[in-house]
Amino acid sequence: MTEQPVATVTSPARARRTPSARASRLLANTLTYAFLIAGAALMLGPFLFSLITSLKTPQQFNTSWPVSLPDPVTAQNFTSLFSEQYNFVVPIAVTAQVVLVLVAGQMLCSVLAAYAFAQLRFPGRDTLFWVYVATLMIPAVVTIIPLYSMMTSLDLKNTFAGLVLPFMFGSPYAIFLLRENFRSTPADVLDAAIIDGAGVWRRLWQIMVPMNTPILATLLLITVVTQWNNFMWPLIIAPAEEWNVITVATAALQTQYAGNWTLVMAATTIAIAPLVTLFVIFQKQITSSLGVTGVR
Amino acid sequence: MKARERHEARAAYALLLPSFVGVGGFLLLPVIVVLALSFMRWDLISAPEWVGLENYAYLLSSERFANSLWVTAVFTLLAIPTSIALGLLLAIAINRGLPGTSWLRVLYVLPWVSAPLALGVVWKWILDPSYGVLNALIGERVEWLTDPQLALPAVVFVQIWSTVGYISLFFLAGLQQIPVAVYEAAKLDGAAAVRTLVAITLPLLRPTMFFVTVTSVIASFQVFDTVYAMTRGGPAFRTDVIASRIYDEAFVNLRLGRAAAMAVVLFLVLVAITLIQQRYFRRRITYDMS
Repeated sequence: MTEQPVATVTSPARARRTPSARASRLLANTLTYAFLIAGAALMLGPFLFSLITSLKTPQQFNTSWPVSLPDPVTAQNFTSLFSEQYNFVVPIAVTAQVVLVLVAGQMLCSVLAAYAFAQLRFPGRDTLFWVYVATLMIPAVVTIIPLYSMMTSLDLKNTFAGLVLPFMFGSPYAIFLLRENFRSTPADVLDAAIIDGAGVWRRLWQIMVPMNTPILATLLLITVVTQWNNFMWPLIIAPAEEWNVITVATAALQTQYAGNWTLVMAATTIAIAPLVTLFVIFQKQITSSLGVTGVR
Repeated sequence: MKARERHEARAAYALLLPSFVGVGGFLLLPVIVVLALSFMRWDLISAPEWVGLENYAYLLSSERFANSLWVTAVFTLLAIPTSIALGLLLAIAINRGLPGTSWLRVLYVLPWVSAPLALGVVWKWILDPSYGVLNALIGERVEWLTDPQLALPAVVFVQIWSTVGYISLFFLAGLQQIPVAVYEAAKLDGAAAVRTLVAITLPLLRPTMFFVTVTSVIASFQVFDTVYAMTRGGPAFRTDVIASRIYDEAFVNLRLGRAAAMAVVLFLVLVAITLIQQRYFRRRITYDMS
């Protein structure tokens, strides 16, 4: 699913090139470029502005035009974020651990479930799968209060377990997506493995997983993005500072030091930059596969 | 053979066990719990107390709750059609395959990988009346987020800004599945660009359109992070979307039963909307593409 059919839409026009057709094509191309470049500037602007501001001294920020470049460039906002006063090391560490546990848990549990639904026969399979798919309809906002009451009754407020427990056992979305992909694994490959005496477990790890690495990689990235950016659940279950994730810490900083924008922009940069970097590295993989995940 | 089948079934149940803990314990059970809580009064301090339909009776008469539903509906009606139209336009523009444009879509997806909370904070600064970029650029002092007339449109704009690129990816995938031959036939028949869009592209994108609309509406009805960062529901509850109301009622006012009842209503509204959308998209003709 790379970009083969892209340019072909315009190709028939090339076949019958009259002067007026050429002029209208030129106009269409100019408009397309103008639209795409203006849009790209609008998209990129806020990211650049916040980065630039995070590199300014508060003095420069207060006295000069917001759009001006930092002069001098300073890391002062970042160093004070990591100083004892704001202690941003904690939210970064907490977020990293939460993401690690949730991604590992979700990927593993989802792979196991998707494999069972896609390739194994057992009584009640279709009904159970239908139940799983139905849970896709449950909005996160609806479960937040009951989950809070469940976690507090287990005494897990402001704990690591409280942050991860409800979400580490796989997600119906991931299971659904993986099952669709696992089902299309050629049956003869699996039959050959069965004849060779490969059991359920070995077929999963030696055939299904290696043959489905693209979708697994996509899902991995989606899960990392979702969990790193998560806000509402951590805000509710772990408001104590020592368990703040990066989004919660940023929100708290913004409330507490309103107007201290260079510091706040340093915090948003820290919250945004790791994933943007990850995304730029893997952008081909993500942009080409993401669009396909939904529509099948 | 029988033994192997039994073995396979047992293996399958074992593989499903962890995910069943997740789906059963943390998705299905919460739905039952939220329903139960919606019939109770609970302030986190004393034990929950059964009050029957009291919370629902309150919601029926509550102007604040009605306001939240209204704000959420307006938010959705402003944000979704715009971001779908722009996302489609963007996908069509990228799909023309002009040299140097394919990498631009990376920029459009940047907001999707970024935390909505962090983006909300960035936009709060950009729209800041005294220190923000926007007012500096237009050279005028506008109270974007504290003017009751402007706050909701401003939050809607940020929502559109952050979802449009992501939406365009789905349309791009949909566009690339349309056979080129269809367009060539239209060209030979002398169909103009607009005609081609209305008669070919849009009908053939129907499955994508359905998926994008349903997921966007569901996401839009639950928007929270952006509002929390930018306005906290204000000014004068003009941006008090339903998720913000539920959060405030539960964790600021400590009325968890009432908030649970709101969550139940939201759930029912979303199910109804999804079913209506499904009927609408089913009814329209789809072209057989196989």
